[in-house]
This record gives sequence, C-alpha cells and structure tokens, in this order.
Amino acid sequence: MSNESQGLMGWIDARFPLSKMIKEHLSEYYAPKNFNFWYYFGSLALLVLVIQILSGIFLTMHYKPDAALAFASVEHIMRDVNWGWLIRYMHSTGASFFFIVVYLHMFRGLIYGSFKNPRELIWIFGMLIYVALMAEAFMGYLLPWGNMSYWGAQVIINLFNTIPFVGEAISEWIRGDFVLSDATLNRFFALHVIAVPLALLGLIVGHILALHEVGSNNPDGVDIKKNKGADGIPVDGIPFHPYYTVKDIFGSVVFLAIFAFVLFFLPDMNGLFLEHANFDPANPLNTPDLIAPIWYFTPFYTVLRAIPNPFGGFFMMGLAIVVLFILPWIDRNPIKSIRYRSLLFKINILIFAATFIILGYLGLKPVTAFYSQLALRFTELYFLFFFVLWAYSKTRSKSFWIGSFIVLLGGVTFYDKFMNSSGDDPSLIWKTWFIPAVYLMVTLLLPFLTKWDSEKEVPARVTS
Amino acid sequence: MKMLTNIILTLLFVLCANPAWSAGGNNHAQDVFGKVKIDMGNKASLQRGAKYFVNYCLSCHPAQHSRYKRVADDLGISEDMTVDNLIFTGQKFADLMTVSMRREDAKKWFLGVNPPDLSTHVRAIGPQAVYEFLKAFYVDDARPFGVNNIRLPNTAMPHVLVGLQGQKKAVFRMDTDRNGREQKKFSEFELMQSGTLDEKEYDQVVTDIVGFLAYLSEPAQLVRKKIGIGVLFFLALLGVIAYFLKLEFWKDVH
Repeated sequence: MSNESQGLMGWIDARFPLSKMIKEHLSEYYAPKNFNFWYYFGSLALLVLVIQILSGIFLTMHYKPDAALAFASVEHIMRDVNWGWLIRYMHSTGASFFFIVVYLHMFRGLIYGSFKNPRELIWIFGMLIYVALMAEAFMGYLLPWGNMSYWGAQVIINLFNTIPFVGEAISEWIRGDFVLSDATLNRFFALHVIAVPLALLGLIVGHILALHEVGSNNPDGVDIKKNKGADGIPVDGIPFHPYYTVKDIFGSVVFLAIFAFVLFFLPDMNGLFLEHANFDPANPLNTPDLIAPIWYFTPFYTVLRAIPNPFGGFFMMGLAIVVLFILPWIDRNPIKSIRYRSLLFKINILIFAATFIILGYLGLKPVTAFYSQLALRFTELYFLFFFVLWAYSKTRSKSFWIGSFIVLLGGVTFYDKFMNSSGDDPSLIWKTWFIPAVYLMVTLLLPFLTKWDSEKEVPARVTS
Repeated sequence: MKMLTNIILTLLFVLCANPAWSAGGNNHAQDVFGKVKIDMGNKASLQRGAKYFVNYCLSCHPAQHSRYKRVADDLGISEDMTVDNLIFTGQKFADLMTVSMRREDAKKWFLGVNPPDLSTHVRAIGPQAVYEFLKAFYVDDARPFGVNNIRLPNTAMPHVLVGLQGQKKAVFRMDTDRNGREQKKFSEFELMQSGTLDEKEYDQVVTDIVGFLAYLSEPAQLVRKKIGIGVLFFLALLGVIAYFLKLEFWKDVH
C-alpha cells in the first residue's frame, strides 16, 4: 500500500485521518501473536455493548417510563410488537452476558498481570467501566417495573440510608421522592438510556486508547516491544487486522451460538437472568418471598449481608469494589503472567475465583445461620486474598510470614470472639473458623515450609 | 492453564445447573398432587384450556396484556369462533382480555385482594403451583366461600370448578416436626359429593387450564425454540467457515 491513498479514500484522508486511524488501531496495531482463549473477551464485550445499544434503541421505541404503564408496555413489547420478544430477550440476555464476559475479561487481567506497569490506567479505565456497567444494569433492572425490580431497587437505594447523618437525604435525592415511585422510574430511565451509556462509551474509548498507546499484554507477560525487527515492528507482533479480526470473528460466532442458545431456549435461565417474581407487576404492599439481586451483583450483596452492622456492611461492600481499583499497587511482583508465578500464587488465584463464585451463590440464598457464617468466612477470604497477593510481590523473611499469619488469624479470631454471633447455634462459628484458618496456613506458612513459592524464569520472547 | 480453564468452566456450569435455583414447590406437595405435564405442541389441549379460562376464570381474573386475536391466531381458532365462543363481554376481536368488574368492587368482594392478572402471573409462580392450587380445594365452613385450600391456606378464591370436581373433605393428622412440636398436617382428601367429572377427567381439565395459562404468560414460546434451532444451525455453519478462514489467515504466523 502506498502512503498516498487514492480516490474517495484520498479525498477523505485529505480532510479526516481515516487511513491513519485504521492503521494505528487495526492494520498496523501490532498485537502479540500468542493470545489464547482468554483474549476473546475484550472484543466480545464490545460485541455485547453493540447488542445492548441496538436492542435498547428498539426497546425505547415501545417502552413507557411511567409507573402506571411500564409493566404493561413491556408485555406489549413481548406480545404485540413484531419480534418484540426477540428484542427484549436480546437485551435481558445481553445484560447477563455482559457481566459474564466482563468478569472473564477482568479475570484474564488478573492472571496475566495485565494491570501492571505500564497498564495501570487501562485497568483503572476498566474498573470505571465496570462500575458504570453496574449502575447501568441496576437502573435498567428497575424499568420493567416488576415486583423484583421494585423491591430490589428499594433494598439497594435504602443502603444509602445507613450512611450516618446524610444517608436519608441521599436516598431521597436518588429516588426523587420519599418512596420509590414514578419519579424514580422516570429518572432511572433517563440515566439508563442516555447518561450512563454516554459515560460508558467515553470510558471505553479511553480504555482502548490507553491500551493502544502501550500495547497489549499477552499470556507470557513478555513485552514484545523490547524485541523489534529492523523495520521497527515487534518480532512477536502481528497486525491486529487481519489476524485478530478473523480470529475474533470466529470467537464471536461461537459466543453468539451460546448467546442464542440461552436467548431462544432458556431466556430466563431458571430465574437467574429474569427473576420469577419480576413477572408480577410492582406492588409496594406485597414483598417477594426472597429478595435477591440479579446474579451479577450477588457476590457483593453477600459481603454486605455478612457484616451485621448496616453501615459496616455497606462500607465493606464498597471496599470490595474499591480494592479492585488499586490492584496495580497491591500485586507488585515484576512477573506478570501466572505461568511464571509460584504454585502458591496459582493456588491463591484459584481460591479467589472459587470465593467469588461462592459469594455469588450465597447472595441468592435466604439468610440462615449457616449461610451467614459461610458468607462471613468467604468475605474474609475475599479480602485476605488481596493481602496475600501483596505479600507475594517479593521474597519475604520467615518472620514476616509467621508474623502476618499470627496477626491475621488473630484478627479473624478476635472478630469471632467479640463481634461474631451465630444465633441459635454458636458452634457454627468454630465449625467455619477453619476456612480462613486453613487459607492462611496454606498461603502464609507454606512459603517458608515448602518450595511452592519458587517462581520460574520469564523467557525473553513469547512462547507460541 | 487448560486445567484452570476447565476448573472454572466446570464451576460455572455446576453453579448454573444447580437445581436449587430452579423454581419448584416442595416435594411432598408433588407426591399428593402429581406433576403437571404441559405440552405446548398440543393445540387441542391449549384450545380447551382457553375455553375453560374464559368460562371459569376470566369473569374475575383479567389477562389484560393479552389480546383475544393473538390467542386465537396462536391456537388456530377462527375469528368467528372466537367472537361466538370466547368473547362474552361484547368486546372486539382485537381487544385486550380485560374484565368489567371494577377493581374496588373486586377488592371488597374478595376479602381485600384483587384477583391477580393472569397474563404473566403463572410465569412468576410456575405452572406446578397453579396445578396444585386448583386441585387443593376442600370444604371448610369457617371460610366465607365455604372452601379452603391446602396449597394456599385461607385463599380468597372460591372453588369455581366445584361443579366439575365435586366437594372434597381434607383429612388432617397430628404430626411432630423436627423440633418435636405438634403440627396439624394434611394427610389426604375424601370425596364428599362427586362432580360431573371423575378424577382423571378433572386432572385433564386442570392440565388444560394450566397449559393455557403457561402459554398465555409467554406466547412467544410457541415459536422461539423453532426459530432458535434455525439460528443455531446458521451459526454452526458460519462457525465452520469462520474457523477455516482463521486457519487460512494464520498459516503464515509462526
């Protein structure tokens, strides 16, 4: 290709940097050649975003943001609008898949150290996207004005009541009324269809620009820009287009097949993607038997419920999200990829993944003495994970390991002794105490008792 | 790395497939009432269900999100048949299936509750719950309508199908629960006066009604699976092409 473009392209290029942008971000953006399965989820997130925006536009053509009409308008879409059910299921299935894809995308970042220097800002942009996405999903969930929409939003907005002094004023300000009402529905509609999506798009542009500035990480965590050929192109890099565009087309088709399977055969996913109680219209006088948020919020909901003090629970839930923002400054180990990290690091990551899933599961369950003890234990594991991650940043002395083991297990036990109560069955406290105890033993004592903390040498170039 | 992927996918799968998350009643109830067998492909059953629905339910329970026309089109009932046999209110063919009873009146007559709209309610509580409810009425003189319900104790709904099912008495026995407390527990029904149908025929009527209500709660289910198979077939084909396209392009990457 010559540098001077001809014809229509030439006419445009003289007025707008189209060819330049295509080159910068696609045909001459050099991505490492060793992307694996985990690297599909970035482009898939973009695909789901497009699905959500397109299906959302068509939904707004028929939806009515009015407490008296909202539920009926959704049913109107489901019955009277041609292909309305398809559009609605696309949007509802898309919401859940957005989170599945984003969680896997974040997990990829976690295991391959994609948040580390020089990609801290990419990670922070990503976290802001995640928070905006949660706001977007939460407000969208109110719009069908089903009974779970109503009570779910009621519970979540009332969380702000727990903030000392200003709490009530804040939740009133969010609702625009003393109770959850038409005013709330109307403003949530405005925020859901324009305010948050605009913010999301801006943040996504920032996320991608920051990525293309420093270049993509890869499963080996090796910087491909350190090894450039005579032409100045990374030896292990390949142009994003056409190589990764064709690869992502394949990934997208596989993803769409799974998406279509859920959409056409299990649109409510047994109450996980569309909760059963939401097929009854909102009724302020009739609380659903069990109010559970939609599945992608439940890990944090469990953290909230694990702490008996209302503001304490709210604070810890916020902290569970905030702590993710500072991940680049927690895991400071220079080795990026899990491939070359220690066995204990791998165990720690696996336990964290399991913890997150278990927290999510518990959030869907009613509160019983046993479940709330489990909730507390896995909340402890959630936060302890970050300490261990920080501790694994470098080689530590034996006294550091023993000292932190004693302090942390002491802290857990102190909490059990003076602040943990388990209703009818106090023995549950000691029966579940072993969960954090074993976790701390494995992660803090094995580094000096075994060789499991040894790391592998990072190769100079990517392995295929 | 593969192992890690597998473990996570397995965990996700186990989580999604967990039966505790799916809707369902308690097992004891299913033993007593049996499990409802709904077949969306059985048009005759759905049509009968529509007939029973407009005759027995629609006087009090609206289905205000559904139109007669949509039901007629989906179940293969002609416009004339519908107007003559399914619409008793003088409404038009394309009208919504509303009731003329005023909400305030309904609330007064039915002990402070409005008969719920049935266009989506079955999707909220599940067909099995409705099936059990319609089979769980028994004579109880303490209640305003002379009947009570095992599945939904002290329900405000009268037994509208009593002419078909007949009157039943509920037999209770005393039972101790796990904590040793005495409890009145339902044991079995006894027929006091038979209706026009025997038990098997009545079960079929209830199945027809529940099937129709399940259809009504999501009319799209009659077509979506069929369309879904076509979509998946197309995506499978596209996937094969995309896979070989990728292989072709990646030949020169080493």
